[in-house]
Formats: sequence, C-alpha cells, structure tokens
Amino acid sequence: MQSMEFPLVVFTVLSQAAIGLTMMRAVRTVSGTPDTDARKEWLMIAGLMALGLLGSLFHLGHPTGAPRALVHLGTAWLSREVLFAGLFMGVAAIAVLSAGVAAKSAPAWIGAALGLGLISSAGMTYAPPALPALNNALPAAFFLTSAVILGAGFGGWFASPERQPLMARIFTSALVVGLVLYLIAPCVWASGGTVMRMTGEAWFASGFYWAHIGILAACLAVIWKTKSIPVWLPFLALAGELIGRAGFFADTLHTAINMGGLY
Amino acid sequence: MKKQYAFLVDTELCIGCFTCAMACRNYYHQVEGVVWRQVYPLSEEIYPHRERAFLSLSCNHCENPECLNVCPVNAYTKREEDGVVVHHQEKCIGCGNCIRSCPYGAPKYNPEEKRAEKCSLCHERLDADLKPACVQACPTKALQLIDLATKQQTNQIQYPAGYPKMERLNPSTRFILPKMPKMVRR
Repeated sequence: MQSMEFPLVVFTVLSQAAIGLTMMRAVRTVSGTPDTDARKEWLMIAGLMALGLLGSLFHLGHPTGAPRALVHLGTAWLSREVLFAGLFMGVAAIAVLSAGVAAKSAPAWIGAALGLGLISSAGMTYAPPALPALNNALPAAFFLTSAVILGAGFGGWFASPERQPLMARIFTSALVVGLVLYLIAPCVWASGGTVMRMTGEAWFASGFYWAHIGILAACLAVIWKTKSIPVWLPFLALAGELIGRAGFFADTLHTAINMGGLY
Repeated sequence: MKKQYAFLVDTELCIGCFTCAMACRNYYHQVEGVVWRQVYPLSEEIYPHRERAFLSLSCNHCENPECLNVCPVNAYTKREEDGVVVHHQEKCIGCGNCIRSCPYGAPKYNPEEKRAEKCSLCHERLDADLKPACVQACPTKALQLIDLATKQQTNQIQYPAGYPKMERLNPSTRFILPKMPKMVRR
C-alpha cells in the first residue's frame, strides 16, 4: 500500500463536487426557467472549491511556492490543472459576488467548461507511465463520474421540484456508470502486465475499494426505493467518493515496486 | 548524436556488494531513508541460479525525462553539454509529482528538506574530469560511465528483464546481461 495522499483526496473530490454542481446548474438552465437561490448554490460551489484548494496546499512541502506551479504550462499537466482550478475559482467567486448575473446561464456554462478542463488535466496528472493501471483515460473517467454523482446529488438541494426527477435520473445514471467502471477496471488490469495485475489484486484486497463499491450500491438502493434524492444522501455519496479516492492513491502500484521482477 | 552520459551496468561483473550505493550515500550524506542508487536483485523468475544477478540503478538521465516534463515549477533541467538531468532543489516546492511519475523511482522525497532529490550523475565531479562516486567506487568495474554518442557495443541492451520498458522516455542506462551458468550433467 502506498500513501493515501489525504490532501489530494480532499482537493480532487471537493473540486469535482464543485464542478459537478456547476455542470448541473448549467444543465438546469436549458431545461426550463432557471432555479432560484443561485447565490446560495454559487456560494456552495465557491466554498467547496476554496476548501479543496486549501486542502491541496497541505500536500506541498513548501505551500508558499504554490503560485509558482503555474510556470511550466508547456508540458506539465499539474501546471495546467492549477491554472484551470484558479480560473474556475475565479468564475465561482465572480458569480457569488454578482448575484444578478449569477442567476443567468453564462457563468454556469463557463464554469462547466473550465471544470471539464480541470477534470481532464487532473486526469492526465494522475495518469503517469509509472502507474500502468492508470496510464490511460481511467483517471479522467473516474473524476468525471465523481463530479456527476456529487453534482447531481448536491444539485438536488437547489433544483426546483419539477427538476428533482432530472437530478435523480442523472444521479442514478452516474452511480450505475461509476459502479460498472470500478468493478470492470480491476478485472481488466488482471489481464495486463505484472504491475497492472498487482494493482488489480491490491484494489480487490482493499477495504477502501469495497467500502466505495458498497456505498455506491447503497446510494443506488436508496434512490431505487425513494425515487428521489433524500437531503442526506449526497453526504453518503461524498463519503463514498472520499474513501474511493483514498484507495485510488493508496492501492495503485508504481512500477518501481517491481524493479528486478518480471515486466 | 549529441553527447549523452550514461551508466553501463555489467550484470555479469556485478556481485551485489552495494559499494556503489554506499559510495553515493557517503558522498552526498543523504538523510535517513533517502537512497539515490539502489541495487535490486533479479527475481528468480528471470535468473534462477544460486549465484544471483543484480541491477544497480539510479536516475537514468532519460532523453525525454518524465520528471522534467511533469515538474510544475521547472525544477529540472537537462544539460546540453552531456545530457545529465539535474534537479534544482531550491526551485522544488515538494509536490511529489516527479516521484509519482518517474517509472524508475529515481526522485525521492527528502522529509527534512520537504523537497524531492535524485542522482545528479555527480555532474560537479564530471566538470572536474572525475568519475561519478558510484563508478569510481565499484570494485569489479561492473558500473561504468559511457557516452552513448561515441561508445556503442553490440552486447549492450537497453531494456533487460526486470527493468520497465519506457520507449518514450528513452532511458540512458545500458546493461550487459548476466551469462547463464554452464549446466554440468553427471
């Protein structure tokens, strides 16, 4: 087991919740009249993102150097991730401050586009060749799924009654996609190279993995039973994503652990 | 081809004595738990004999270094004159991205400095026409410094079993494989 990277767990999951909320807000602007309480929703988006960014600083040996992480945009996906995170935070802050504009669709669409940029660049950052199981599109897919699950879950708090079924449908679909992705990925790794197979075995042997799967399944069962998103359910989904992300960092094996062994 | 210094690991000569790793440690006085050069025994699946074989590895000073590409603060440079990949610790913010990204595990986290660090191929010694500390210390001459631009032998290989194959990075280290022992039938 490698490091759980708690600050990165907090940053990635909270920022994806903020992005998901923004995406759901954008979706609701094209499905009828906009919901009220835009300011509260943007406050939550900005708050989640700010908390995530604050959490990410604890990952750095020298947090005061964080602004310098923007200097290598040419090849470093981490620099691009920091840029998108900063721009997204800026849009969220502007949307909170300009309540009149915030109720319109433009900030939501701009935020959603920047959020997708952040998810893509984060996906590339955590897909290095040293982690063969994740050296592909899976990190971006995992992150997008988390964003939609949490966005639709918490989006239920802000959606008007007529849009609740829309949020419930998106939430359900994202849970199903998440479950399928997380169940299939380690099975596929089992047929890959040595380190990929070891990663699959580590995931299947991990409490993080099964707790995450269990919580996704429990969320699905609740929504199947209630046909709506209870107010408390997004918290359960958030706990599941935090646990699953801890496993993502802790249980994915690095090529260096098998040096001298077969590749 | 431009000058590119590289380590040549002759696994036929290497006896797994760890002198190279110790020489590196003695020269740079790394903190507890930080090792720039490591000696890895080859798995029995690769070399199933009583006399074991080893890979002595540090930074490979790749042609296209992943550490350099992923570092968000430009803390890595590749020297034009000899291809050595240098980590400038004063620029490092300790994000760990190079540690996570290098397939060969070359960059290490220094918990006291709270920054990464790695083998520098003793570039300050190279500049003074000296060999790297690990090469100088090797008692069997199993570890040598070569220039890929000028010294090519047909028995050198780039990706032996037990070593991740990363063609995009094009690691500079070269290996001479251990010979299989003679089987004596009674």
